[in-house]
Amino acid sequence: MEEFFQQLTNGLAVGGIYALIALGYTMVYGVMKLINFAHGDLFTIGAYLGLTLLVSMGLFDKIGPLPAVILLAVMVMILVAIIGAMLERVAYRPLRQSPRLSAVVSALGASIFFQNAIMAIYSPKFLVYPHDILPKSAVNILGLDIPIMRIILFMSSVVLMAALYFFIQKTKIGTAIRAAAIDQGAAKLMGINVDRVIMLVFCIGPALGGAAGLMVGLYYGQINFNMGWMFGLKAFTAAILGGIGNIPGAMVGGLLLGVIEALGAAYISIAWKDAIAFCVLILILIVRPTGLLGERVAEKV
Amino acid sequence: MKPSTLIYAAFALAMPFCPIFLNAYWTDVFNNVGLYAILALSLNVILGHAGLFHMGHAAFYAIGAYTTAIINTSYGIPVLWTMPLAGILAGISALIVARPIIHLRGDYLLIVTIGIVEIVRIALINNVFDITGGANGIFGISRPTIFGYRISKPDQFFYLIWGFAAISIFLLLRLEHSRFGRALMYIKEDEVAAGGSGINVAQHKLTAFVIGAVWAGMCGTIYASKMTIIAPESFSFAESVILFTIVILGGSGSIPGVILGAFLLVGLPEVFRGLAEYRMLVFGAAMVLMMIFRNQGLLPPGPKNYDITSLLPAGGRK
Amino acid sequence: MVFQYVLIRGYPDTPVPYFTYNRFADCEPKGSATFKEDFMKKKLFTLGFLTVAFVALTLGSAWANTIRIGLMCPLTGSWASEGQDMKQIVELLAAETNKAGGINGAQVEIIVEDDGGDPRQAALAATRLTTKDISAVIGTYGSSVTEASQNIYAESGILQVATGSTAIRLSEKGLPLFFRTCPRDDEQGMVAAKTLGELGFTKIAILHDNTSYAKGLADEAKALLEAQGKTIAFYDALTPGERDYNAILTKIKSADPEVVFFTGYYPEAGMLLRQKMEMGWNVPMMGGDATNNPDLVKIAGNKAADGFMFLSPPVPADLDTPEAKKFIDDYTAAYGNAPGSVWAVLAGDAYRVIVEAIAQTKETSGEKLAAYLHNEMKDFSGLTGKISFNEKGDRVGDLYRVYKVDAAGAFVLQP
Repeated sequence: MEEFFQQLTNGLAVGGIYALIALGYTMVYGVMKLINFAHGDLFTIGAYLGLTLLVSMGLFDKIGPLPAVILLAVMVMILVAIIGAMLERVAYRPLRQSPRLSAVVSALGASIFFQNAIMAIYSPKFLVYPHDILPKSAVNILGLDIPIMRIILFMSSVVLMAALYFFIQKTKIGTAIRAAAIDQGAAKLMGINVDRVIMLVFCIGPALGGAAGLMVGLYYGQINFNMGWMFGLKAFTAAILGGIGNIPGAMVGGLLLGVIEALGAAYISIAWKDAIAFCVLILILIVRPTGLLGERVAEKV
Repeated sequence: MKPSTLIYAAFALAMPFCPIFLNAYWTDVFNNVGLYAILALSLNVILGHAGLFHMGHAAFYAIGAYTTAIINTSYGIPVLWTMPLAGILAGISALIVARPIIHLRGDYLLIVTIGIVEIVRIALINNVFDITGGANGIFGISRPTIFGYRISKPDQFFYLIWGFAAISIFLLLRLEHSRFGRALMYIKEDEVAAGGSGINVAQHKLTAFVIGAVWAGMCGTIYASKMTIIAPESFSFAESVILFTIVILGGSGSIPGVILGAFLLVGLPEVFRGLAEYRMLVFGAAMVLMMIFRNQGLLPPGPKNYDITSLLPAGGRK
Repeated sequence: MVFQYVLIRGYPDTPVPYFTYNRFADCEPKGSATFKEDFMKKKLFTLGFLTVAFVALTLGSAWANTIRIGLMCPLTGSWASEGQDMKQIVELLAAETNKAGGINGAQVEIIVEDDGGDPRQAALAATRLTTKDISAVIGTYGSSVTEASQNIYAESGILQVATGSTAIRLSEKGLPLFFRTCPRDDEQGMVAAKTLGELGFTKIAILHDNTSYAKGLADEAKALLEAQGKTIAFYDALTPGERDYNAILTKIKSADPEVVFFTGYYPEAGMLLRQKMEMGWNVPMMGGDATNNPDLVKIAGNKAADGFMFLSPPVPADLDTPEAKKFIDDYTAAYGNAPGSVWAVLAGDAYRVIVEAIAQTKETSGEKLAAYLHNEMKDFSGLTGKISFNEKGDRVGDLYRVYKVDAAGAFVLQP
C-alpha cells in the first residue's frame, strides 16, 4: 500500500510537468488548429536557459533559494515567451493560408532546428544543474517519505495552472483568446485583433513550457537536448486525453497521464512505461477522440 | 518529347553505369539513396496519393526487416524467398493497425501513427515474444543469393536495389494511372465529394495503407540482408520523419519528385559529412523554408493533361 | 487545345488558365514558367557539385609515404563525449609518434570517421574508411556499432582493433583480423559475481537498460549469482534517456534487496544514485564498467555518489608503468585535464598495439599484422596494463578492478 501511494505522488509530480507542457499544446491548437511540434523543444530551451542564467548569474549565493528560483522562473518564462513569439512569426504566420500539412511540416522542421541548435550551442552531452542548492530532504506525510522537492514541483505546477485558468476565464484578454479559439472569423468581426491574440498565445504557452523545463532541470538535475521529444509527445497525449483545445482538460489530462504512467510502470512493467503512454493515446483517439473533458464538436474527427 | 521525359530517360540510362565510376563508398551511398527512394515511394502511395498523414512508416519497414531476419536466422530460408512473406506480414499489421484509425482526421492520424511507430520500437527493444533479440537486434542474416550468385559487395547491391526500385517505379506508375490511383487522388482532393461519388473512402484509404506497408516490408528484407544485423535503433521515429520529409519536400504525389527528394536528403548529407554537426540544423531550417516558399515540393506532380478530343463522341461535338 | 491549371500564390483555390500568365508578365508567379529552368539549374548544380566532391575525395588518398591508420568513433550522437575523447587521445599519440620519427621512418596519419553511435552510420563510415587506403582501424565504442562494421573491414582485409565493445559474440565469429583491447562481458560478469559474493550480499537486485551490452552483463551476472546460491530479488530494465526513475526505485525498494547492481550507462547511474538519495534510501549500489565516467559524480552529486562501487579496467592514473605516467603528463599538458574515460584510453592502447605491430613486422598488410598480434605480442606494456591477445582476438588477462567513489567524488581503486 505504501508503494501505491509513493507511486501516486511520483505520478502527480511528473503529471504536473506534463500538464504545464500540455497547456502550451492545447492553447496553440485551440486557436490555430495546429500541433506545434516545436513546443517540446521550447520546453528544452527553458531548461537550458535556466541553467545558463543560474550558472552565469550565481543567483543562489546572492539572494537565497526561494527568491532566486522565482526570479529565475520569471526570467526564463519571459525569454522563452519571446522565442515562442519569434517562432510563430517566422515559421507559422506565413503559412496561415496554406494547407494544414505545410504548417505541420514547418513545425517539424522548427523542432529539428531547435534540437540541433541546442546541441550545437551547448553540447551533445548531458548537462547538469548545480547541486546542493535546493533542499533534498524528505518530508514525512501520513507515514510516507516524500521528497520535499516533489511537493514543491507539484505545488508550483498547480499555482501556474491556476493562474492561467484565472487569466483565461476572468480577464478580457483571456476571453479574447477563447473567442479566437472558437471562431477566428467571428472574433475578427467582433474587433479582436486575432494576430495579436495568436502572438499572445505563443507567448503564454511557451512560457509555461519553459517554466516546466526549468523545474525539470532543478528537480532532476540533468538535461539534454532531446528531452523535449519524449516529454512533448507525452504532454501531447495528455492534452488529447483531456480534450485538445480545452484548458482544464489539459491540466486534468496531464495529471492523469502522469499517474497512469507511474502506476503502469509499477504494476505492469517498467520497460513498457513509454508504450503505455502511447497505448493510452491510441485508445483515446479511437474510443473518445474529443477527450475526457472535450466538447462534442461537430467537426468530423 | 517533353524535356522532363528526356531527363528521366537519361537518368535511367546513366544509373546502371554508376558503380563503374564510383568507388565503394559512394556506391554504398547510392544504395542508401535507393533504399530510401523505394521506401519514400511506398510512403508516397499513402501520403502523396491518398493524402493520409502517416508518420509511422518506419514501423512497417521494421516489421519487414525483422520478419526476414527471424525467419532467415531461425529456419535458414534464403533471404529473397522471405521477401514476399515480409511484405505480407507488414501488410497484415498495417491492416490491423490502420483499421481502427483510418477515419481520423489529418492531425490526429499523424499523432497516432507516431505512437504506433514508437510502440513497435519499444516492443522490439523489449524482446516481445522473445524472438526479436531485444536491443541487440538480430545478427547473422545471410546475404541474398540469386540463382547461386551471392550479393555482398556494394556494387552488387547497387543492381539489386536499383533493379527493385525500377520495378517499383514501374508498378507505381501503373497504379497511379489506374482507376484505383485516380480514386485516391479524388479522395485526397475532397473526401466528402469522393464519398458522394460512390467511392468507398475508408476501403480505398485502407488499401493504400496496406500497399504502402507491403512495399516497405519488402524493402526491409533488402535492408536486413545488406546490413546483416538489424537493431531497433534503425527504425525510430527519426526515420519516419526523414521519409515523410523526402515525400513532402520532393513533391508529394510525384514519383520523380520523391526520387529527387531521396537523392537530396540522403545523398547531400554525405557530401557535407565534414559539417556533420550542422547537417540536421540545416535540414530543419530547410524544411521550414521550403514550406514557406515552395510548399508543393521540388517537383510537384504536374497538372494532369487530358486529351479532350478523344473523349468526345465519334461524330464530333453537337 | 489543352488547358493547364496552375495555382496563383496567395489565392489557393483559384485556377487560372495557363496562357494568361504570358500576358501579365509582371505577375509571374513563383514556380510554373521558370520552374523547368530552375530545376535544370538545380540538377546541374547538384551533379556538378557531386562530381567536384567525388574528385576531391578520391584525390585525397594520393600520398605514398605515410602509414594511414583509421579511427572510427562516435563524434556525434549519444556517446559523442567518448568519441571525442578517443579522437583526442589517438591524435595525441600519433603526434608523439611522428615527433619521434614515425614508424620505420614513415609518418603516421590518422583518418577519423564518425559512426554516430549508430550501426547504419557505422557501416557507411566503415565503407568510407576502406576506400582510404588504411592499414588498420581502431574502433569503436558500442558493441552493436562495432558489429555493423566488422564484416566490412574483414572483407577488405583490414585489421580492426575494437576498444569499447565488450559483447562476447564479437570475437566468436572466427574473424582472423578482429582484436579488442577491452575485456569481454563474461569476464566482467565473473568479477561482478565474485565481488558481490566477497562483500557478503545474498539478496541482490539487478537492473539493466535493455541495450545489448547492459542486458548481456546482467544476464551473465544473474546466472553466476544464482549458481552461487544467491537470491535475485529483482530483475528488470529501465528506459535509458529518461529522467524519472522514482517509480523503478520505489518498486525495487519494496523488493528489499541488500544491494542494487546496475549494468547500464553512467547518465542513468547518476540519476539513480541521486534519486535514491532523495528518497532517503541507503541501499548500496554497484555498477558495471559503463558507469565509469567523471560525469557520474557531476550528475549524482558528491553526497549521493559517495560509496558507489563499480567495475572497470584500471585507469592510467592508477597504473605504475612509466608509459602510463608519461601519457597522463602529456595528455594533461595538451588538453588541460586528465583523460576522462577509460574507454578512450583503451583506444590509445589500440593505437599503440597497432603501431608496435607495424614497427616490428615492417609490414602493413592485415594478415601479417594479425599474425604478429596473435603469436608474437606478449605482455606488451599498455596504458591500461599488460596486453596479449588470444587466438580469438580477445585480450588476455585479468583486467577488471573494483573502484569506489569517495566523499570527494574521486574514484578510488580497491585492493
